[in-house]
Amino acid sequence: MEIDKSLVSGSMGLLVLKLLEDGDKYGYQMIDELKRRSDDTFHLKAGSLYPLLHGLEEKGYVTAYEREAAAGKPRRYYHLTKEGGAALRRKEERWNTYARAVGRVLKGGACFG
Amino acid sequence: MADTMRAYLDTVQEQIRWRRARPVVVRELEQHLTDQRDAFRAEGHDPEAAERLAVEEMGDPVEVGTELDRVHRPKPQWQLLAATLALALLGGLLRMWFTFSGMEYYDGYIYGRMIRTAIALVEGTVCLLGAYFLDYTWLTRHARWGCAAALVLGILSLEFSPYMNNTSYFTRYVVLLYPTVYAVWLYHCRGKRWKGFLLAVLGGVPLTVIGCLAPYTMGVLLLLMTGFVLLLTAAGADWFGVGKKRTAAAALGLTGVIAGGVVWHVCKSGWCQERLRMFLHPELDPLGSGYQAVWVRKALSVSQWLGEGSWSEAGSPYPYEWTVPAWDSDFLLTTVVYKLGWLPFLLLVLAVAGLLAWLLRKCLRQKNQAGRLVALSVIVPLALQVIFSVMQNLGYVLFSVSMPLVTGNLLTVVTMGLIGLALSVFREDCIPWEDHGEMEPPSQVRLRFQNEKDVQSGSHVIGVSLIVSRKGTNERQASSL
Repeated sequence: MEIDKSLVSGSMGLLVLKLLEDGDKYGYQMIDELKRRSDDTFHLKAGSLYPLLHGLEEKGYVTAYEREAAAGKPRRYYHLTKEGGAALRRKEERWNTYARAVGRVLKGGACFG
Repeated sequence: MADTMRAYLDTVQEQIRWRRARPVVVRELEQHLTDQRDAFRAEGHDPEAAERLAVEEMGDPVEVGTELDRVHRPKPQWQLLAATLALALLGGLLRMWFTFSGMEYYDGYIYGRMIRTAIALVEGTVCLLGAYFLDYTWLTRHARWGCAAALVLGILSLEFSPYMNNTSYFTRYVVLLYPTVYAVWLYHCRGKRWKGFLLAVLGGVPLTVIGCLAPYTMGVLLLLMTGFVLLLTAAGADWFGVGKKRTAAAALGLTGVIAGGVVWHVCKSGWCQERLRMFLHPELDPLGSGYQAVWVRKALSVSQWLGEGSWSEAGSPYPYEWTVPAWDSDFLLTTVVYKLGWLPFLLLVLAVAGLLAWLLRKCLRQKNQAGRLVALSVIVPLALQVIFSVMQNLGYVLFSVSMPLVTGNLLTVVTMGLIGLALSVFREDCIPWEDHGEMEPPSQVRLRFQNEKDVQSGSHVIGVSLIVSRKGTNERQASSL
């Protein structure tokens, strides 16, 4: 299922950081795993991923290094830093609050005076 | 690479205005495109369709390039540049003011001295900005030539420079560049395992020898101390590829041996013992080796918190300017205490120390290891000079040393140039060039043919391997048929 772009763009940083929580990955791997873990819901364009990753690197949330991937091809791997881990927890918390609030409204539980 | 992919990458990189950031970004996108193309081919698409689809998957090249352009921009260091200029200007003005106020004690043409200080400030600003806009990676990319040029410069200065106080005048300033030259040399030795470590250590020898021939004891001390800091930093990043702990142990072992040698030399050498004795108790020889320190201590004892001290209480029959040697150069800080007070002295020292702490903070946040080492090679010697200079100006004289940015015209020019180099590292922090840029061109390309027996069919096959090896790494890219 394709999702409205505006819904995805705001949370992409959270998703990318979450992917790196399990271990270091390179860009192509991230897109592949995101697709798999979201049952093909999130189809992130590579052209959006790299500016996002470079921005996270700039903020110190991830670091990058080059290593040989399978078949001896050199790939640029990204690693979640301590600051990145803390940012991930903050983003997760905010997201959960937001998602719970949206959920309550959609179920009709919210009361607008 | 196919035209479709090349055209896509060309369009992306055209959007990135900072040319130096382009190669790394394009390389990563190229790797991604290759993976995507191979995946489409594995799904059964023909090569052309696979490439077209891979390019489509990437998204609009202009949008992608524009987004990347936003991330990859130089980080201007205007505040640090302004702070450096302000301190150099303050130092220059202090020197000019003291020269002017003490004009009756100078033999030569006083305005000539002041003009030289003004010219040094202009030259220093040119060096600061020149080094700031310099692509410092050029130094690391041409490490061998850079080091050879620095050695030749040292030898030429030894040969042709005039001697002042039994020291080759210009060699002193060349030696101040050597910690950075050594950082560049260390970079050149990376990835070469123990051979690299040995080369790194040996590379410091000719630099130290030139310092000893000058002879410039303080310069040699700065070079040795900074060299070990740099070697340990390189060990921490496992630059030689033999393991962090092993390299650190070797570096510490070497430090121990050299420190032991220095201690042994101090114990055996009468000159060193005398220096040490005068460092602690200059009053034992007030008219000889302890003269400078004795009068500095007396000047400090009659100083006030704010305002000029009362020289008459110091017990000298001559004015301050005739009594305290080098009052307007190496002992300029003592003059600040005596003529302006302890408070201005403390503020001045804190300002210089604050600038260095600011530089160090930026340096430790550097992602780029080569950049961090180059910046460290500038900051550590400057910090050591500040420490030794403050000690000297408080009456604990060990070797002749000047306060960076405050004392000396030529020293100010050299210091500003070096700080400019450190700032150029910080300016280019956002380029993730290290992994790519460090890669050497292939040093060996071999084509290997092998007669192999197929295990399943039992028939013989010819194996062809193309092996590309890069100097200093164990990486091997091989393809076989």
